[in-house]
Amino acid sequence: MQADRSLAGTPTEVSGAPAVTMTGITKLFTGVKALDDVSLTLLPGRVHALMGENGAGKSTLIKILAGVYRPDAGQISITGKLADLRSPRDALRQGIKVVFQEIALIPEFTVAENIFLEGYPTDRLGSIRWDRIRADAAALFARIGFDVNPDDKVGNLPVSKQQMVEIARALAHEARVVVMDEPTSSLTPAEVAKLFDVIRRLTALGMAVVYVSHKLDEIFEIADTVTVLRDGRHISTKPVSEHTHETLITDMIGRRIDNLFPRARGAAGEQVILDVEELSTEKLKGISFKARAGEVLGFFGLMGAGRTELAKAIVGFDPITTGRITIGGQLLQPHDTRTGKALGIGLLTEDRKSEGLMLDLSVTHNMSLASLERFSKSGFVSEPSEKSAVQAFVDRFRVKTPGLTRQIKFLSGGNQQKVLLARWLMRGLKVIVVDEPTRGIDVGAKSEIFALIDELASDGLAVILMTSEMPELLGLSDRIAVLAEGRLTAIMDRADATQEKILDAAIA
Amino acid sequence: MTELSRSAPQVSPKLGWLTSQTQLVLLVTLFALCLLISLAAPQFYSVDNIIAILRQSSLVLIVAVGMTMLLIAAEVDLSVGASLAFAGVVAMDVTNKTSSVTLGVMAGILFGGGVGLINGLIVTKLRINSLIATIAMMMMLQGSVYLYSREAVQNKHLQPLFTWLSTGYVGPLPLPVVVTAVLFAIGYVVLRHTTLGRYVYAVGANEKAARLSGIRPARIKMLVFIVTGLLTGLVGVILCSLMNAGQPTAGRGFELTVVAAVILGGTSLTGGRGTLLGTLLGVLILKVIDNGIIILRWDQDLQMVIPGFIIVIASYLDLLRKKSNAS
Amino acid sequence: MPQSLEARVDRVAPIPRLAAMFRRNETVLLLVLVALLVFFTIGSPTFMTTRNITNVLGQASIAMIAAVGLGMLVIAGEIDVSIGSLVGAVALPLVVIMNATGSLELGIISALVFALAIGAVNGYLSAYLGINSLIVTLGSMFVIRGGIYIYTGQKAIPDDLALESFYQIGNGRLLGMIPYPALVALAVFAVFSYMMGHRRFGRQLYAVGGDAEVARLAGYNVRQSKFIAFVLCSLFAGVSGILLSSRLGSAVHVSGLGFEFQVVAAVVLGGVSLAGGIGSLGGVALGVLILAFLSNGLGMLNLATEWQQVITGLIIIGAVGLDELRRRRG
Repeated sequence: MQADRSLAGTPTEVSGAPAVTMTGITKLFTGVKALDDVSLTLLPGRVHALMGENGAGKSTLIKILAGVYRPDAGQISITGKLADLRSPRDALRQGIKVVFQEIALIPEFTVAENIFLEGYPTDRLGSIRWDRIRADAAALFARIGFDVNPDDKVGNLPVSKQQMVEIARALAHEARVVVMDEPTSSLTPAEVAKLFDVIRRLTALGMAVVYVSHKLDEIFEIADTVTVLRDGRHISTKPVSEHTHETLITDMIGRRIDNLFPRARGAAGEQVILDVEELSTEKLKGISFKARAGEVLGFFGLMGAGRTELAKAIVGFDPITTGRITIGGQLLQPHDTRTGKALGIGLLTEDRKSEGLMLDLSVTHNMSLASLERFSKSGFVSEPSEKSAVQAFVDRFRVKTPGLTRQIKFLSGGNQQKVLLARWLMRGLKVIVVDEPTRGIDVGAKSEIFALIDELASDGLAVILMTSEMPELLGLSDRIAVLAEGRLTAIMDRADATQEKILDAAIA
Repeated sequence: MTELSRSAPQVSPKLGWLTSQTQLVLLVTLFALCLLISLAAPQFYSVDNIIAILRQSSLVLIVAVGMTMLLIAAEVDLSVGASLAFAGVVAMDVTNKTSSVTLGVMAGILFGGGVGLINGLIVTKLRINSLIATIAMMMMLQGSVYLYSREAVQNKHLQPLFTWLSTGYVGPLPLPVVVTAVLFAIGYVVLRHTTLGRYVYAVGANEKAARLSGIRPARIKMLVFIVTGLLTGLVGVILCSLMNAGQPTAGRGFELTVVAAVILGGTSLTGGRGTLLGTLLGVLILKVIDNGIIILRWDQDLQMVIPGFIIVIASYLDLLRKKSNAS
Repeated sequence: MPQSLEARVDRVAPIPRLAAMFRRNETVLLLVLVALLVFFTIGSPTFMTTRNITNVLGQASIAMIAAVGLGMLVIAGEIDVSIGSLVGAVALPLVVIMNATGSLELGIISALVFALAIGAVNGYLSAYLGINSLIVTLGSMFVIRGGIYIYTGQKAIPDDLALESFYQIGNGRLLGMIPYPALVALAVFAVFSYMMGHRRFGRQLYAVGGDAEVARLAGYNVRQSKFIAFVLCSLFAGVSGILLSSRLGSAVHVSGLGFEFQVVAAVVLGGVSLAGGIGSLGGVALGVLILAFLSNGLGMLNLATEWQQVITGLIIIGAVGLDELRRRRG
């Protein structure tokens, strides 16, 4: 059987010769160095962990190895020979398989067809052998131990199953290097254990594995070597045995973690500002909670747990099936952001590009959008008063921009995020929902965003923080709520919360 | 990552409208065209010819004002050609039946507005891609105008007021040109200086972001569809007055000229970007070319071919602009 | 959601269920077609006659050939609205070369080469330069039609030699029964249905239309796939144009006006999503047949031909609206 041979693998050199060497890789985006002279050596039969904060350059490096981007400088050799990876096809031909963090599957195809997308088995006349595709896919899942039906349409599956399909796909064909970018973000511990089993089998057969994860425990369990990137630069490469949790974190963020979360605010008030009762949507099931003035209520959940769905429902962006949302004592009209805005609730979206920014428009027009009425008389915008309000926020938030008329796409992620935050604060809110506020933002700007969130709470806003980053959750929140598969599984005070408690509730 | 992209050149805000240089390039192109044509045909600069160009341009420009707003809001209306023919037929018919030019003109304009309303409803409620929805609307209008009237509706009572609509003068300028100037000025102010204008840009640049900011994109889009429809109805009436009859076949290919002019003027098909000044220049360039074809006695069917080329070239230039902006 | 093992085994077993069958788009279309046939048979005594049915099939085949090409292109996530102009335009090289050389074969070859060239230009501009294909082909629709008018001076070019073979390809019948165009349509449909379902080529088009970035990551050459789809679409429109020209007996400058929208209507009615990646050629074929019988039947009920345009427009909006609704429901 084909799949048998591939998962069994044709043993490559288990000798010490590197499977892949990347040297001096540099990549620029809009003039900004996403990667600066980074080198990486992958040995056959070894698991090489790649670590770093969001925006450190891990994904860019992986995409260069996968042929998605071409480096601006540097070389890649595969088994000692110089390789030019112009497209994903070249990388696949060289036996480099990637499990991407963003699910890269065709939603309309079945699980089985997705697994064989890169190379359909055909008969002598070139007709696709659908029977074989189904049988091989089923056998592959049986061997890995994942419970996925090969006949299901991928688009109908929950994210966790899609992630399993994504993993299985990388294993269906012969590979020299398998790259896994956050493969476990929505898997249960039992499934993670199965994945690790597979990884051990792969390395035993001489395959090189690149493993990207935020989860330190996973790294210590599975990796042989760890490379840490920070701000696009190579920081360290060491055997995992020479690392402790602390040394890894220090390498990753370059300073001690407690400095990241300055807390200037006092205790939260008592007045309930946001009251969500029995809220259900297609994804969420009967969620109830209250948020008070001056508190940060953190929501944690694995990928697909429903954080973003909750955020969008309570600001009136998404429709709801049942439930009541009350803001400052007044009922929110569901699925209507206009009344949401009028009642004083706003969302800082996790997806800046597609839901927050108007890339072609200026900093001013981006910032003033939600509060234009304040600067206008009978429909005409008073540009001087708009400009001075915008300038005030640019100064207060230290937004780095050459001018207020600059198109916002030329600003860095951190500065864009500040503009979007100002969009709401300019208006004056009672409740702000921030969804993954530091996604794709470099470390320096992160701590500034954290300080701003702290400032908001001390100004008396209720802050609803949606995050998948444990340090962020623990560092910012007064109370912590946990979502799992659309349900609220726990809500606790920060003082009572531990990583274990939170994860337990997230997996429930 | 550094905080600021250093590769981007600094531009003084005063010169903001020139940043993309689109308008400058268009202006130079326009002058070059005028020069070339006048070298080959000196009568190009006659007052009559200039007035003729302005009159021709005004019909396109009125609809282009609405179309620019639509494209900025990331929608499009390809039914304007069929709609203006039908509006003309309706206007003439109502004028004949009621003997009232006012009622006839109102009927024509409202007909256009009604078509715009339906287009808007189909696009915002059924969420059908507006290119497809308005192509379907174009087909329905082209078919149903014949069901309404088999042949052209003549100006039966020979109302002089009706023909004055297109041939009359205000001072030295033809009435349609004056009407166009007024509508253009209103459109310009609305887009640049009102909250509504801001919302149109915002909805086109990023609909979800606009909705998250408490704007109702569907309403903005509806409004712009209706405005475009009303303007189309008005042009239908003027064209009908010019021909002194409601022609069911009028306006074939008109939608393409309008869209070509708007895109040529630097308005992006993907929404969020564009100016009415650019549209004005785009219309003038197309109409000068049309005029050149006539006074140089070239094959008039070229008037169909050239907008076809221009719409493709202009979209490509738009793409290049976006790419050079992005990296 | 954890599924019990028994439930899984049950679902893997390929037992066609009645409910699942009715959820299939093709089944619904087939029922609509049958209902139409029954309705018109009752409404008009001349409808269900061998002569009328074969006539309709002959007409439908010309649309069918183009619809197979357009269907594949739309599945690949692009569109071509210049096919109506192309259908008219291929008649020019066909008739002109035929008149000059007396050879039908040379005429056909030059017509097909012309169609391929147009397809290559459309494909290059859309797939390689990345310009919105609707705009590109809207532009070429006008350029080609304007070109026809300029070349012909808005007059038809007759087939001077009145070749019998030229007459036969569009009007002849196998065994006096089955029109040749229907045979061509059947062959094109059969071959490309198989290609779309059982060859890498077809699955690649589905993948590219379904999610171009994912297809690229899976090692596909997205631009090339789309380019090929454009070229095939134009080629099939060229074949349609040759057959149509044979039926008209000349190169008519207005031939094919509005044809593109009839074909787009058939394709979307057949359940192909304009967003790409979804649909089947079987559905497209049913869409063509439904529109053809609808138009024929309405004519027999003495409804003005303009109604067909109105109804086609309504069908496009209805079909695309339903598709949107279905996608929103997931």
